Amino acid sequence: MFRTWVAACAAVALSAPALAEEQSNEPPTSTDADRARLEEEIRSELGGAPSKAPGGPAVAEDRAAAQASGPGPTGGNALARLLLLPDVSAIASFTGVYDGYDVANLSPDRGELYGPKGQPTFILQEVELGLQAVVDPYFRADIFVSFSPSGVDVEEAYATTLALPGNLQIRAGQFFTPFGRMNQQHPHVWEFVDAPLARYRLLAQDTLSGPGLVASWLAPTPWFLQLELAAQTTTPFDGLSPGFTGDARVLQYFSLTDAASVGVGLSGARRREGAPGAYRDLGGVDVYIRNRPPSSRSYLAVQGELYLRKFQDTPVPGGEPGQMESGVPQNGWWTQAFWRQDAYLGYGVRYEEAPAAGASAPGTEQRLGGVLDWYPSEFSRIALETSWDWLPGGNGGFEGLLHFEFGIGAHGAHPF
Amino acid sequence: MTVPKSFAMLRSIVGPLAMAALAAATPSPARAALHVVTTVEGLAALVGEVGGDRVSVESLSKGVSDPHFVDANPMLAVKLRNASLLVDVGLELEIGWLPPLVTQARNPDIRPGEKGRLTAASAIQVLDVPTGPVDRSMGDLHPQGNPHFLNDPRRGLEVAAAIAARLSELDPTGAATYRSRLEAFRGRLEERMAAWDKELAPFRGRKIFTQHRTLTYFLDYSGLVDAGEMEPRPGVPPPPSHLAELVEIARAQKVTEIVVENFYDAKSAEVVARHSGAKVVQIPGDVGGDPGARTYVDYVDEVVSRIVGGLRS
Repeated sequence: MFRTWVAACAAVALSAPALAEEQSNEPPTSTDADRARLEEEIRSELGGAPSKAPGGPAVAEDRAAAQASGPGPTGGNALARLLLLPDVSAIASFTGVYDGYDVANLSPDRGELYGPKGQPTFILQEVELGLQAVVDPYFRADIFVSFSPSGVDVEEAYATTLALPGNLQIRAGQFFTPFGRMNQQHPHVWEFVDAPLARYRLLAQDTLSGPGLVASWLAPTPWFLQLELAAQTTTPFDGLSPGFTGDARVLQYFSLTDAASVGVGLSGARRREGAPGAYRDLGGVDVYIRNRPPSSRSYLAVQGELYLRKFQDTPVPGGEPGQMESGVPQNGWWTQAFWRQDAYLGYGVRYEEAPAAGASAPGTEQRLGGVLDWYPSEFSRIALETSWDWLPGGNGGFEGLLHFEFGIGAHGAHPF
Repeated sequence: MTVPKSFAMLRSIVGPLAMAALAAATPSPARAALHVVTTVEGLAALVGEVGGDRVSVESLSKGVSDPHFVDANPMLAVKLRNASLLVDVGLELEIGWLPPLVTQARNPDIRPGEKGRLTAASAIQVLDVPTGPVDRSMGDLHPQGNPHFLNDPRRGLEVAAAIAARLSELDPTGAATYRSRLEAFRGRLEERMAAWDKELAPFRGRKIFTQHRTLTYFLDYSGLVDAGEMEPRPGVPPPPSHLAELVEIARAQKVTEIVVENFYDAKSAEVVARHSGAKVVQIPGDVGGDPGARTYVDYVDEVVSRIVGGLRS
């Protein structure tokens, strides 16, 4: 009975505008409140459909852009299938390495960019295949697969929500942990060829990543304030069992002038280490300052990151570079300045400190390096990076990297 | 229960700050029915012409910027977060920076195909659409066609009409206002177009050089002819042999003017000018690209008068 009454009311409510329209040539002038009420009624009739249908009907101009403007060829457009292909891209990176001391023994745990002492070595760093597309009205997908001499690795494969309410967004799949700025970047985005030692030694031998999900919220503030909470299963170093990792990150950006902006991020993570009560804590601070006058391609970017790591009730040695006893904190940091002179040239300098690794005496390793980047176009780069490394105990020496990379296909733009 | 003094002090500082932050973050609907964000200042100017006080509008990039290379600064995502409408140029002009910002802004209304997204290129007839094979040995070209159409006032008017239609759709109670403002803008622009046509008439068919294929639509409008570009392969520096060829073309075909938008480096143009005797004329690349180009009409006025001025001298 009640249902019949509601249905009758809804029918009247739905037909009212139509009746009004029949009686008058004036266009209907429903208020926002009327519209919201109607939507609510329809929603309840449908049994709780999504409150906001993303991907609603496109309006005239966009439909005109998306559809053929005139009669199509007989039998339709045979090439239309291509329109549904994802954006496909490949970025290939090759590096020639040389060191004047024994990096392989005295300073390993720095990715794969080193060869035998004093012997120039060429390395295929990786070929990154990117597949990117919108999945449906609710998600977009980004997949990056890395091919390298060590095998095939799904670096990232995640879906991002497109239409959650309340400034929320969720990414689910395999992704780089939102910990610090650099950990979320693919190597071809870096100004330097390799990552700072501290990142390899304290976060992960490659990139801190894993399957899971991350929820992020953009605060309604006049500046950029984003909170992220991630739950992942990570395996930061070979030999470790996959471990549940909880991560939180706060990222803020402020505009200082028309040209200058500053970003500050705070990250914290805890990873379970297998045995009951055993875990590691990670902390990080990252700062990024960029000055680029609006009328110029030139910019100066100064950035740095500090990482902290502490184990709790985790067996030592755990097979990780410089792993300390339970409860003893470790840290490492780096800072760099990069001057992009114009579209074609850029210069950078970097200083870093990290726990020593390999056969080096324990202590802090320091490295000072410079890079010259030459961009023949937007799609290729040749970089020369040279550094001097100081190991605890007086060892160390020269390192050089000559790098070439190129990208083909439609590679999605990178975040700032 | 007593509140510790330090806590009270903290509250007295944080409270007003939070209020100020929220006040600044809250749009002012009392004054504007819609908040519109555009990717370039030219589009913002057209929105302002049509929308008047009913809309608030801001551009993500400055008129002095090269619109291909705007930083995807997260502060721009903040601007997009509360936008009722995003107007972009399209044709992949903003492909290098806009998509991540739209995703980051978490505003589903402004995604492509939504009511809150208007791609201006959908309102005009596009030129320079490649018909043959395309690869990047030709430079960083636009495979969908040339996106630099706002320097043609006829197309500017078409875009303004599309903006008026979309504003009316989003804000039906303002439809009459948008319609009448569009007509007023049309009147002013067509009056100026009659004057520009007179200024340009003596020079129809005259050849000029350009920096990049950014003046295709203006040439189509003005009747001037492109004799070559300083940078024939976008994003790839021109070799000396190409500039030497341009010098020879300038001498043989009496090309006396090289037009360069002021966000480009004019070094190549100056070299060709020095060897050929041609004159480099810098023009604003968009509304706001020059102190004299504050409105859309002023911008086109600057472009016409500087190019004509260069051809006269």
